Amino acid sequence: MDDLREILEDFLIEAFELVEQIDQDLVELENNPEDLELLNRIFRVAHTVKGSSSFLNFDVLTRLTHHMEDVLNKARRDELKITPEVMDVILESVDMMKALLQCIKENSSDTECGIEIDDICNRFDAISQGKPLEALEESTETAEEKAPEPQPEPEEEPDYANMSDEEVEAEIQRLLEEKMKEKEAKKAKKKSAEPKKQAQKPAAAAPVKQTSSPAKADASAPKKVASTPEQTIRVEVKRLDHLMNLIGELVLGKNRLLKIYDDVEERYEGEKFLEELNQVVSSVSLVTTDLQIAVMKTRMLPVSKVFNKFPRLVRDLSRELNKEIELVTIGEDTELDKSIVEEIGDPLVHMIRNSCDHGIESPDEREAKGKPRKGTVKLKAYNEGNQIVIAIEDDGAGMDPEFLKMKAIEKGVITEREADQLSDKEAYALIFRPGFSTAAKVTGVSGRGVGMDVVKTNIEKLNGIIDIDSELGKGSVFKLKIPLTLAIMQSLLVSVQEEFFAIPLASVLETVRISMDEIYTIEGKNVLRLRNEILSLVRLSDMFGVEQVFDGGEHVYVVIIGLAESKLGIIVDGLVGQEEIVIKSMGDYLQGIEGIAGATIRGDGGVTLITDVAAMMKLAKEINVDLTQQTSLETVQKTKPEDFHLLIVDDSKTDRTIMKKSLAPLGVKLTEATNGVEALNMIKTGDINFDAVLIDIEMPQMDGYTLAAEIRKYSRYKNLPLLAVTSRVSKADRLRGIESGMTEYITKPYSAEYLMETVRKNINLPVMEVA
Amino acid sequence: MDAQLSNVLQQQQKQKHNLLDNTQNQKGEEEIQLVGFIVGDEEYAIPILDIQEIIKPIEYTRIPSTPEYVLGAFNLRGNVIPLIDLRMKFSLPRKEADETTRYIVMRDGDNIAGFVIDKLTEAIRLKKSSIDPTPETLHKDQGMIYGIGKREKTIITILKVASLLQRDF
Repeated sequence: MDDLREILEDFLIEAFELVEQIDQDLVELENNPEDLELLNRIFRVAHTVKGSSSFLNFDVLTRLTHHMEDVLNKARRDELKITPEVMDVILESVDMMKALLQCIKENSSDTECGIEIDDICNRFDAISQGKPLEALEESTETAEEKAPEPQPEPEEEPDYANMSDEEVEAEIQRLLEEKMKEKEAKKAKKKSAEPKKQAQKPAAAAPVKQTSSPAKADASAPKKVASTPEQTIRVEVKRLDHLMNLIGELVLGKNRLLKIYDDVEERYEGEKFLEELNQVVSSVSLVTTDLQIAVMKTRMLPVSKVFNKFPRLVRDLSRELNKEIELVTIGEDTELDKSIVEEIGDPLVHMIRNSCDHGIESPDEREAKGKPRKGTVKLKAYNEGNQIVIAIEDDGAGMDPEFLKMKAIEKGVITEREADQLSDKEAYALIFRPGFSTAAKVTGVSGRGVGMDVVKTNIEKLNGIIDIDSELGKGSVFKLKIPLTLAIMQSLLVSVQEEFFAIPLASVLETVRISMDEIYTIEGKNVLRLRNEILSLVRLSDMFGVEQVFDGGEHVYVVIIGLAESKLGIIVDGLVGQEEIVIKSMGDYLQGIEGIAGATIRGDGGVTLITDVAAMMKLAKEINVDLTQQTSLETVQKTKPEDFHLLIVDDSKTDRTIMKKSLAPLGVKLTEATNGVEALNMIKTGDINFDAVLIDIEMPQMDGYTLAAEIRKYSRYKNLPLLAVTSRVSKADRLRGIESGMTEYITKPYSAEYLMETVRKNINLPVMEVA
Repeated sequence: MDAQLSNVLQQQQKQKHNLLDNTQNQKGEEEIQLVGFIVGDEEYAIPILDIQEIIKPIEYTRIPSTPEYVLGAFNLRGNVIPLIDLRMKFSLPRKEADETTRYIVMRDGDNIAGFVIDKLTEAIRLKKSSIDPTPETLHKDQGMIYGIGKREKTIITILKVASLLQRDF
């Protein structure tokens, strides 16, 4: 039983592949009815499916393919002309074949789904008997009576049910041979037409003839086969996914290693082992990157997997719409991650429908405009950096921004006021709004105003961008820009107060640093004028409710994100850098939190959230905080010396006492810490808000440089004065102090006045009469 | 490996559920093992088989647009796990982590989360017969309570892990 199951699975895989191929071939055939090779190829598909399905006892499928085979066989022998009407029937039968195969896949039987093939079989019969199709309705009855098989050259199909074991063996052998021959025939295609015909005919003819002729025909073929054996194996997708997950872990490990190396490098500058460590780290990181790319590649599929469907689609559409449309595909070899290939099919179908229906004009209209009667839709795929671009170009009517605006107002999608502010590009983007459709009449193809809306959502799901360009009367170009893979991505890390967020780099258009003065307010919305564009602005902290612990200052960073066709400026406090991140699920409990696409684990082992750009765009609309009138943090005005609080960090009690004595006249509060770790903990808890820290450099556990660097890691202490008080006087020491984030460098011994003055200056203590 | 592991876990779960369910019907002398802990002033317990592990507090990341009792998410050996403060979930004031604070990582099928508790007490063996169903008056507590365990001197609230892990926002 298991053997049968295995055969069945092989059959299904093969059949689906064949059917996919057949669609494209058939459309091509319509344009090139004389192409014998194409015909043969299509015939062979029908034949192969028939052979295998009869062996597996799928009677319905066998009957259908048998009828197909008949008609095709006649066409092959030039006894029948392939007209569009005939083609319609053939295509319909291919669809049925697909449906049957699907049915078999799901139920292991082709009768469960109740697919009726009588009608189509009759039509096939009519065609093969040369009757006009119009007369079919009446002739159906008669044709049925004439059945079974009034074909001129009936196929000798063995009766499997009554065969003995040996005969079954022989039959299997025969089927196998046929298959081999077909493969060989394909390989031998480049040869002259003569041996090809010979090679293929036996496949269709009775088994008896077969033994002799193929041997002759393929005499030279086997050598070729031997030199180029097929170097592929089928691998379960699950295994590849698992591999991808493991690589994800490895990438995280690598990031962590790099981070540790950075820390070590800082601490042990100039040590010999660093060089060695550096080599290891870089080679590990290099190999990891290569490995990641290699695994990603195994998951890549050519876009032709999707593109293959479209010639048929366009062909059907053009007949349905009474237009003449040619589809040109370029760059089918471009590869994309499997998961994306699966997702991208539907949006593309909608976009192509849109181009055919709304873009391309009717032949007469085109002629009147001086264009060729036949319209062209170009489907292009190519790589651009870390993205793949799929462009759908048509040479149709193009879009009229004014008309779109008018329609949108009419349908209540936007208000008149909004319409006035829209640029042409934004007007084009209106077609992606739900409830918008410009088709004067609803056709079976489009005009219901659902399709394009779905396109946008699907592309956004893939973190993609849609770019539209159009010229009235000349045509339109839709560009879908999609990241190559979903699991591992490049991100821009930004900081907001003390939190970090990762923004998918694919959605980041640019970053700018602006001063608060450059923010304008239009109708209660904050906007930024960037070159010739007006961008709405929103603070990331408002969007994600980040606690405001310190004031950003006069300058802010703006990350401009773009998604599909819209743009938004997001204000953050700092740009941390670009990092490769692995997307981790946050589990059921935290699924679907607005604005958050997932989480990742960073080099330091912490969790960082990944923003969901599409949701951010939505969230931004709901936020109404006027940035220009923000109430700055309520800082208690400190006037009296007692309001100020200093921290003294020194391991020597004497030194601490000297400092305390020197600073006593100022009247400020003083707290002591005996080493870096203790000081850092006091600062971290934030129980006391220190106004300045005096730091000794030489200390056990954590030295002053490290302490300063650690303190500076907290964005709220970015501006906290850190004063180094040390006996290290060399220039290199001073330099290192500045590097680690010290504000001042005071060398011992110092005079009490000097220390007081420096502290006073740094904490802005008002000068008072010192007693 | 993972599949095997989860298989075993599932079986354990099943057994445990069976055990728990049986109590309602027959007062068998079977025992269940619980881990006791303190949140606020009260002692609670959960079945030991629902616990994946217990760890000391580590750093976590805040997650926006969640209720206050969801503190955030933390990294548990490469997995991102939500962290829930049981004090806050029980409407008690928040408390800074101290020496005895622990995270209990609980699992119910694929659903997993860490819960902050004030202090662990002990592992408890209770006879099925000494667990009473939740008193009627407490039913409104979103069914978080599985039952009340009677011990020699005290009673202990046994929590239902499945409903603790139920997202209610």
